[in-house]
Amino acid sequence: MHGRKAYELVKEFANGDKGHLKIFNNELFEQVIEECNEHHNALQSLIRKMQEEGLEVQTARNADHYGAFIHHLSLIRNKRCLMAYVHNRAEIIRELAWKVGLLHELPGEIQEKFSDLEEQYFKDHSKSLKSYMSQLSLDVNVDMVPPKDPYIKVRVLEDLGSGIILSDKSANFARHSMHFLKRTDAEQYIARGLMEELTG
Amino acid sequence: MANYYNIDDILAEEEFVPVVFHKAANGVIIDPSSETNSVEQGAKVELPLWLAQDLYLRQAISISVPACFNQRTRLEIQADAACVDLKSRSPYFYEFGCKIAPLVGDKTIEILLLSAFKIRYKEILTKAYTAAYTTASKFLTLLTKEESNLYEAAQVSMSAFKKWRMGGPRLQRASVLGRKRRSFE
Repeated sequence: MHGRKAYELVKEFANGDKGHLKIFNNELFEQVIEECNEHHNALQSLIRKMQEEGLEVQTARNADHYGAFIHHLSLIRNKRCLMAYVHNRAEIIRELAWKVGLLHELPGEIQEKFSDLEEQYFKDHSKSLKSYMSQLSLDVNVDMVPPKDPYIKVRVLEDLGSGIILSDKSANFARHSMHFLKRTDAEQYIARGLMEELTG
Repeated sequence: MANYYNIDDILAEEEFVPVVFHKAANGVIIDPSSETNSVEQGAKVELPLWLAQDLYLRQAISISVPACFNQRTRLEIQADAACVDLKSRSPYFYEFGCKIAPLVGDKTIEILLLSAFKIRYKEILTKAYTAAYTTASKFLTLLTKEESNLYEAAQVSMSAFKKWRMGGPRLQRASVLGRKRRSFE
């Protein structure tokens, strides 16, 4: 049936949890493109047939015309499905850059799900974000939740060691240790699940 | 074209509608009963909405009302809209209905959709706030995509309100990473 594979591709995206990436389904993606080529060939051969019969392709309304029209619609439909798949994934990828971290800060299990082009896209997006932030000399991806206090208490959930230097101090971030940090410093580690905020 | 990239809009247009061909078409494998790869004039086939829509505008086919808006569904909705299993009829019952109504020229579909939605909307919100998860899960299987979005939205706003009232950590692990370790609720 026409457009069935493209439908499966979109359906697979829709079945995933909202805002979560799955592995890029290259196989199905290629199959849809292959189907597009088939439609294109069928479309052209029908038009050629009409021309051979001496008909005006623009105005003739015979069986070949409607056949070609159906192929044309299927092509457009497949294109829309492919575009939507890529577009919606790109939206999630941009969101990752904002919410989780730029470039090398992204956990490996998420990066595995990117296709090569998506990886490049993520890198480029991170780069432009970074250069924008350095121009402004302001981190625009922190304080997404309006702050109540510039400092917060956090507990480290995973061993981070002492290699991290924050803007106002460096400490040994051993697992389960508690720290009083600048909110803007801690935010990215909380977002990545490496620290948690303590209250009360 | 506003919904060009909209996943739900794409999926809603994949619903099948029964059509009759007024014009023959060559070189396409659409009619499963046909032996050649063409469609005869007068052939009755089921086409996805996205294909039927444009063929209808070219007056190549006529569309009849799809099975999910038949008399039986209407009677069930009249009896008690909140208990009808709309998801099995079409997970995009409302969107599909809105798209198909102008094509089949049936004004009653719009009235049906509106009255069904009004009654069910009230029920969904009540259930979202009150029902325990175990009883709600049975009810959830009856909901269309749009309705379950509403249900989730109601629940999220409820839990956000509770969190705001109780206080608690305001920063947390980004939701895009998924829920791998403990939750912060």
